[in-house]
Amino acid sequence: MGDDAFGPWVIQTLLSEYEFPDDVSVEDLGTPGLDLMPYVIDLEALVLVDTVRSAAAPGTVRLYRRDELLKNPPGPRLGPHDPGVQEALLAGEFAGRGPREVLLVGTAPVRAAMGGGLSHALREAVPRAVAEVLRELERLGRPATRRPEPRSPDVWWEDEPAARGHAPP
Amino acid sequence: MARIVIDPVTRIEGHLRVDVEVEGGSVKNAWASGQMWRGIERILLGRDPREAWIFAQRICGVCTTVHAIASVRAVENALGLEIPKNAQYIRNLIVIAHALHDHIVHFYHLSALDWVDVVSALQGDAAKASALAESLSPWPMNGRLQIQAAKDKLRAFVDAGQLGLFANGYWGHPAMKLPPEVNLLAVHHYLQALEYQRKANQVVAILGSKTPNIQNLAVGGVANAINLDNQATLNMEKLYMVKSLLDEVAAFVHQVYLPDVCAIGAMYGEWLQYGAGVTNYLAVPDLPLDVKGTQFDLPGGTIMGADFSTHKPIKSFDDPYFKDNVEESIAHSWYDGAWQRHPFEEETVPKYEAPKDDGKYSWVKAPRFQGKPMQVGPLAQVLVGYVGGHEPTRRWADLALKTVSGIAKAQVTPAMLHSTLGRHAARAIRTAMLAEMAQRHWELLVDTIAKGDTAIFNPPSFPSGEVRGFGFHEAPRGTLSHWTVIRGGKIANYQAVVPTTWNASPRDGNGQRGPYEASLVGNPVADSTRPLEVLRTVHSFDPCLACAVHTLDPEGREISRVKAL
Repeated sequence: MGDDAFGPWVIQTLLSEYEFPDDVSVEDLGTPGLDLMPYVIDLEALVLVDTVRSAAAPGTVRLYRRDELLKNPPGPRLGPHDPGVQEALLAGEFAGRGPREVLLVGTAPVRAAMGGGLSHALREAVPRAVAEVLRELERLGRPATRRPEPRSPDVWWEDEPAARGHAPP
Repeated sequence: MARIVIDPVTRIEGHLRVDVEVEGGSVKNAWASGQMWRGIERILLGRDPREAWIFAQRICGVCTTVHAIASVRAVENALGLEIPKNAQYIRNLIVIAHALHDHIVHFYHLSALDWVDVVSALQGDAAKASALAESLSPWPMNGRLQIQAAKDKLRAFVDAGQLGLFANGYWGHPAMKLPPEVNLLAVHHYLQALEYQRKANQVVAILGSKTPNIQNLAVGGVANAINLDNQATLNMEKLYMVKSLLDEVAAFVHQVYLPDVCAIGAMYGEWLQYGAGVTNYLAVPDLPLDVKGTQFDLPGGTIMGADFSTHKPIKSFDDPYFKDNVEESIAHSWYDGAWQRHPFEEETVPKYEAPKDDGKYSWVKAPRFQGKPMQVGPLAQVLVGYVGGHEPTRRWADLALKTVSGIAKAQVTPAMLHSTLGRHAARAIRTAMLAEMAQRHWELLVDTIAKGDTAIFNPPSFPSGEVRGFGFHEAPRGTLSHWTVIRGGKIANYQAVVPTTWNASPRDGNGQRGPYEASLVGNPVADSTRPLEVLRTVHSFDPCLACAVHTLDPEGREISRVKAL
């Protein structure tokens, strides 16, 4: 929603402009909270893209490695929604599995409220985040290759319906 | 009077906040508040009803599937559209697999730490734990060496200073009562649960084409082309993969999850006294067996005021008993006005003001059934099924209660399930029942295909005028309903009344508390800086506030705070 769609924007941009080795998968996992675990537990390396709470200006792309993500323990959990990245990584560790290489490509949002529409600052940050993901893939020995004929990104949620605004029956 | 606030504060938009007032070691008053506005209803206005489910499943990041299902059912109901049998069975298998996954995760990875002391598990003797496990279950992976291996892993983990995974547990708390061997067994099964929840999720991925956010639905059926000899479609190989995964998960549920809940529950027998709260129950029927949605494998209905003689069934996808009796109040919610209205007549106009105990204090609306707050979820479903004489519910519930009674050496009856512990027991009973039903729906699907019926879709057509529809689904957290008004083929109104809205509802215009709030009153609190008992009761509902906003916090020091004022 709003700038919270930064991750999906980056994912769709990657998918529309690049091809990836067979053992690399590029996925929009939505907001799975605790349910992130089954998606990451068998991986060797994980690159996450998401908005983050940060003191930096909106649109600034910041990188966080595994140790940084795990530095503070998770707090009391009320529901399954609270982001489950730490839990997924720690549970993997406990089970003797899970990705050793972890990179979070994050940016602070301008607004993460209801509605479609990525803010200008975050729209501009998309190529920078894409570049970071590509650089990481290269470092991991799994470089992406540019599609000969890139498509436009499939950002289906951005289509504004003709009749917007409130219309009680 | 001490006031305790449990609030995830460092998120950009928070979710659930619970305030309780404690006096003399017990909760005197409680407020549950949703700290985020969902707003998907407004996003859907003006859109094509055939694509509503794609947006609706983004209401929630955890239970995406359930909103997709409720949404297509709502539009089909508005059109009076029947869907082919294969489509029902494929949807049912997805619904079951999703629920199995969700309930396993809830118990082992979300709420077990409320009852299990991980540090104490290090004192547990693997041989004794193994003997105990083998007295309860034929599960082949409860051997001494296997349990010792889990203990060694835990030891290594703790020695490496990585107890952070369990930092949200209150080990050493005076309310923790399990013997070290039971704690050790729970840790052992926690590790195994990682595998089995993943297998359940694989079933959703195979049938739904993708997970999270399945891709195979359509208003009118499903998009899973069936051709048993074609690699690109739903074929025999995929169907057998689904079956073998479901069988493996069923074994785990029947031989590990259900016995664990019985054993842990029996040792916390006093929690049958706490957490009843609202004892009006609502469940809707699900797992339809026919094209119209008039016959179901899971029963629905209502029970009022804990009185089983008030049981009244909900019988079809179009039952007026459900359709006509649901309303939502915004008297204490941050929307413009103070009305109580039927979902078709609702509007969603946010209006925030400073929270006040006796004023507006939540983004959650207050759903009411015949004007009453209702508890939804596995407990509602199990009680409604039990009282209605539903055979699988009776069989699994009786087995669970007998096991608990045997360990606790005290008779535990269905009437004692109105409680915090009862909600955990009911969830395990429901999971055991669903694991068994998975088999049946798989056979129904394969038999239908074997007869040469491969129909999966009936195309919808939209009239030029106005139609209204509702679709419900008995989701893991309880009754979910989507309501839509369609005008000229476009969505003119859309409302989702979600399970956690029923359970986490604030007070209504008559001051009636919602189920979370009511269940906390009278709850013991031994240490107000570590309100473990409050978390036990809140977690027993499996809270899941809609999560359309998601922002990580790698820089913050705390994700949530527990504050005693």
